Amino acid sequence: MHESACLRFRNEIRRFYLITVANIVFAGLVMALGISVSVQQAVLIYELSSIALYTTHSPVILCIALVAALAGLVWILSSIRIFEGIKAIKDDIDWKGGEVPDEAFTRLIVRMLSHYRDNRTIIRTMILVCTLGGICLFALGIVGSLEYLSISAGGIVFTLNTYLVVPLMLLTLGVAVVSLASSFYFSRFAKVWDERLGEIEVFEVLLKETLELYRE
Amino acid sequence: MSGRRTAFEIYWEILVFCRTSQSFTGIVNRCNLNSKTGQEYLGFLVVKEYLVEVADGDKIRYVSTERAGEYIALFNSLYRKLFDTAPRFKL
Repeated sequence: MHESACLRFRNEIRRFYLITVANIVFAGLVMALGISVSVQQAVLIYELSSIALYTTHSPVILCIALVAALAGLVWILSSIRIFEGIKAIKDDIDWKGGEVPDEAFTRLIVRMLSHYRDNRTIIRTMILVCTLGGICLFALGIVGSLEYLSISAGGIVFTLNTYLVVPLMLLTLGVAVVSLASSFYFSRFAKVWDERLGEIEVFEVLLKETLELYRE
Repeated sequence: MSGRRTAFEIYWEILVFCRTSQSFTGIVNRCNLNSKTGQEYLGFLVVKEYLVEVADGDKIRYVSTERAGEYIALFNSLYRKLFDTAPRFKL
């Protein structure tokens, strides 16, 4: 009974650790791409004589890129804060090895609960930021792969650059999938730990009764 | 241990730590409490007879009583139960 609980705890921490690491990597990608496109667009705006001005320059792209860069930065900062706590707990479990004594195990649970309570709001924000980052990157990927775009009352005309489309679309798809997966797993993680916090409230009634037992 | 903990988690931590006699400073440092809250938690546990004060020269040290063992055992079993039963987080 104890081993399975311990093993389950260990596995959950490892899984969450992996998701957090993946988050940091992809948050870096979103931020880098956002900054890269922002700079590119800023240069295009500055160089009024550039021929590219009439093709891909757009304040909309600049706005999306800036939002992506900002979302990536917030995403990284949030992920790192969660990562530090989860890494410390994971290192402790790994250091203790296979057999974790009762009290050491309870201590790890209390630490994880405390870490979760501290970062509950951040995790909720991350669920939104992951989705926003993915959407921004998806939009940047689409817009970046366009060679020519013209929107007029008569309709929309666009040309795709075939050399750019494949890698950009692959990157876009990859990051969009990871963003959505992160968002999904963070939601699941939050749901499971929220339920545990709910269970603890029930336990507290019992613990309170135990403490009150020896009042006299 | 730092971060947001419930009072019951702090009681458990103090009682486990005080299995061997501990000074007030040692307890507040280990359990990451300030002197005011430390005093409140220790006062409560002493009144409830989960802790006893032992004189060590001119200083006072705190030791868990046998009753504390029941609370610790109950706390351990309840918290372990969180991972014995559903829900669980999977990839």
